[in-house]
Amino acid sequence: MKIFKFMVSKIFLRKAILGIGIMLLLLMANYITFTAARSVLSTFQGYQETKYVNQEGVYIANLDPDSHIDMSIVDENGTQAVYDYLNSNFKYAFYTDGFMVSVPNSDDMEISLGYLNEQYYKLNEFELSQGTDLDFDYQLDGEIPVLIGKGLSKTYPVGATIEMEESVLGRPLTLKVQGVLKQNAYHSNYYALNSKTYYNFSIIFPVNEKFIDRASMDIQFNGLMDIILLDTSEEEIASLREVIKDNLGLSFNFFSQKENYDYFNEYYLHSLKIIFITTFILLIVITCLSVWNASVSVRLMLKDFTINLLVGLSCSKLKKIFYGYFGMLSFVNVALISIFTAFNRYGCWLRKDAAFATYGLFGLIGMDWLALLLVAVSDMIIGIIIVENMLRKIKKVPISLGVLQ
Amino acid sequence: MKKIIDLSVKEKIYRSKKTQISILNDFRLEAAAGEKIAVVGESGAGKSSLLNIIGLLDRNYNGEYTLFGSPTEQLHTSRLAQWRNQRIGFVLQESALINSLTIEDNIKLPFLYAGPDKKGVGEIADFDTVISAIEIKHILKKKPLECSGGEKARAVFARGIIMKPQIILADEPTASLDVENRERIVTLLFNMSKEFNTTIITVTHDLEIANRHDRVIRLERSA
Repeated sequence: MKIFKFMVSKIFLRKAILGIGIMLLLLMANYITFTAARSVLSTFQGYQETKYVNQEGVYIANLDPDSHIDMSIVDENGTQAVYDYLNSNFKYAFYTDGFMVSVPNSDDMEISLGYLNEQYYKLNEFELSQGTDLDFDYQLDGEIPVLIGKGLSKTYPVGATIEMEESVLGRPLTLKVQGVLKQNAYHSNYYALNSKTYYNFSIIFPVNEKFIDRASMDIQFNGLMDIILLDTSEEEIASLREVIKDNLGLSFNFFSQKENYDYFNEYYLHSLKIIFITTFILLIVITCLSVWNASVSVRLMLKDFTINLLVGLSCSKLKKIFYGYFGMLSFVNVALISIFTAFNRYGCWLRKDAAFATYGLFGLIGMDWLALLLVAVSDMIIGIIIVENMLRKIKKVPISLGVLQ
Repeated sequence: MKKIIDLSVKEKIYRSKKTQISILNDFRLEAAAGEKIAVVGESGAGKSSLLNIIGLLDRNYNGEYTLFGSPTEQLHTSRLAQWRNQRIGFVLQESALINSLTIEDNIKLPFLYAGPDKKGVGEIADFDTVISAIEIKHILKKKPLECSGGEKARAVFARGIIMKPQIILADEPTASLDVENRERIVTLLFNMSKEFNTTIITVTHDLEIANRHDRVIRLERSA
């Protein structure tokens, strides 16, 4: 350890520009790997989550991008007529979120309300850490069972009630905590699978037909945007499309999840592939630059290495020192990225950004740790390439007295 | 006298992409404790290569080498490093100092590799005695770049003898020194040999210095 400390402080770090150079190159390589790894992992999670809608007879609504929204002709009667048609002819999963409410809580976060019906609840298989499943057969005048995110469970344990002015119905409601969602439960975007929102500060509100009947146009309209039709066919959807057109003046597309995946593959996956290939190329370039930097370092430090070898350093120990030094640089870089990521995650808490506030060891969630593991693996590969190249360089210009002349 | 070096080199080959140079062909060297040997010869004859081999820095040659009674081919690299630390001292040109260290740290560098308690190390020279004898106390806290050539040469010498080695390998130790400093270094070397029975092998171009050794080996460049 004493020898390692000496070599690092008195030899390696004395050539500051080279030390900083390799540190920055490594940091760049690590950050690129980390970002790409997280994107891939997040996309994979999105695929896993949306698997349930990727089956025969399931279609997801999507407003036609060419359709012009004229809100002056959209009214409550129109949206209600669409829902009446849906209720009579379809089995559908309803989900909409992003309705912010003020509910006192220990973290002083704004709370997001997510509304879902029983079909959506069954499809999604929400995992609970406490309590029991949602009950959709309730009376609006009584206590309404809800699920809450982990962040709210400190203030509202299972069985507690939440009094709030609910904006969709425009009246005060009493909610009863039926269960607590697992830590960092999330919802992925159907069309951008690597994008997700977290439920840690959400209230999951059960929606039934009575609720939709009395709800404001906003939630009815928003709900239609991502409505999932189950056990249906193209013909039935064609008639629904007509009903929507007649009542709301809007053109809707209904895509199967396979079509959504295709869309994703065509646009998003393509971008991911570009990110992946660019990352790979950048990693190769950075590795080459690091190897070059290390070669220059060896050339400049050869005299110092030689003197140390003359007075008792062995080549095997020198190899260990090189690996130790590189391991140390890698550790510092991984720590920097961890701190940066933790700071970013913590920023969501500071900004009271309920949709992205997460829990995890040192502020990092599972996906971050996995990406850091991949960074460590890539560092090992880069490290082996650099160190072996340094040793090859030293062997090529053998350590000898000639070096000192 | 006790033989401590028994080296027999059939050949040492240096290869480049286009050429191949063979040196030290059928070279043999035996040296006893306390003996002073000078190695002379034109550039490229293999003088430094010979010191590399004797100093256990180079094992890539065709031949046999027994040092302190042990065949070196069978020794682990860590043992070779230990011998370089404790039994072989290198006295080199004044440039052989680490510029980022003070003169004191340069001289004490072998202590770092001798382990915390210098376990297994024989008697080592007393640092203060060496420094006084070599008259470099005034530069101990200086960096090499702040010292004169003569001062640096003496610092390199101090580092070479600080572990009281049984063999000192001197590679052109006086090459760039003035007459006064040259004489000083040579006297220090010879006193070391006389006082501690140290074997000294000096590579030099200076025939006057060479002739003051017990014997002179002349290396010829291969055809």
